[in-house]
Amino acid sequence: MMKISTYVKKEYCIMDLKALTKEEAIAEIVASFGTGGKVKDKNAFIAEIMEREALGSTGIGCGVAIPHARTEGVEEFIIGFGRSKEGIDFNALDGSKVNLIFVMGSNPKDMNLYLRLLAELAKNLMDENFRKTILQAESAEEVVSIFQKSVSR
Amino acid sequence: MPIKNIVVSIANAATSLVTAKYAIYLAKLLGAKLTVVFVVNKGVMQELLRSRVFVEVEAIEYEHDLEEQGKQFLDRVKKLAEAKGVDFEGSLLKGVVHDEVVNKVKELNAELLVMGEVKEMLSIKDSFYDEGKRIFYETPCPVIIVKNPQEVERLYKEI
Repeated sequence: MMKISTYVKKEYCIMDLKALTKEEAIAEIVASFGTGGKVKDKNAFIAEIMEREALGSTGIGCGVAIPHARTEGVEEFIIGFGRSKEGIDFNALDGSKVNLIFVMGSNPKDMNLYLRLLAELAKNLMDENFRKTILQAESAEEVVSIFQKSVSR
Repeated sequence: MPIKNIVVSIANAATSLVTAKYAIYLAKLLGAKLTVVFVVNKGVMQELLRSRVFVEVEAIEYEHDLEEQGKQFLDRVKKLAEAKGVDFEGSLLKGVVHDEVVNKVKELNAELLVMGEVKEMLSIKDSFYDEGKRIFYETPCPVIIVKNPQEVERLYKEI
């Protein structure tokens, strides 16, 4: 069974986001996915994510947001991470600013995997200690390592 | 004990087709009835709603799409079973996957459950999230874990 840790890659982790708004943060993280990779159409992907955000914020509280979308613009499951020291207004449900943003995307054909990985990530992020270690991580490598260790907890 | 009822649990994955083919092979060999179970995983959606990652309308949309995928998948397996003259029944269920599969096995008094490969358990926590492992542990009847797709393909063609 594939775990979320399989997909967390250091090159998709931004430890200090420059973005000041929700839209900028999502675009900055999606840009880290590079060109010619799993994301065929970045603009379509961002548009789908924003469409989902229009239904209700994915700022789930405790400084965490998980913007996500399934779209043909993504070839296979991908996750990117961005951390904002100042926090970004995501219209989060608890009104707090968001420091940890996880952008997730998947092709519609991988719906089961996508749902399972979304749920696994949400479960991890509900743990205060897990959030704290991500907040305090000093490098992208450390973020990857935190996720790998979370599998064996 | 004669095996008259075989249940096979499948998801929407390429490996599920291999699992289904092996179950068809067994059913043909034993002259058993084959019930193919596909569960729309409402458990994971409820979790996503609870953690507020999903909004209601989104969960409904996913549920609908999963249901459609399930129907298509069962239809595909039905054709495979019919091609081999196996008595087939498709069962599209909604709920927590391991609960639904185990309940179906009990309801039918199935003598055998066929399922896909169960990966190595990495941690105690892992066992709670992997539906396959929970089905394996909680099913009251013998369980066959399908491996070796090439061999399955060969056996399926043989019957």
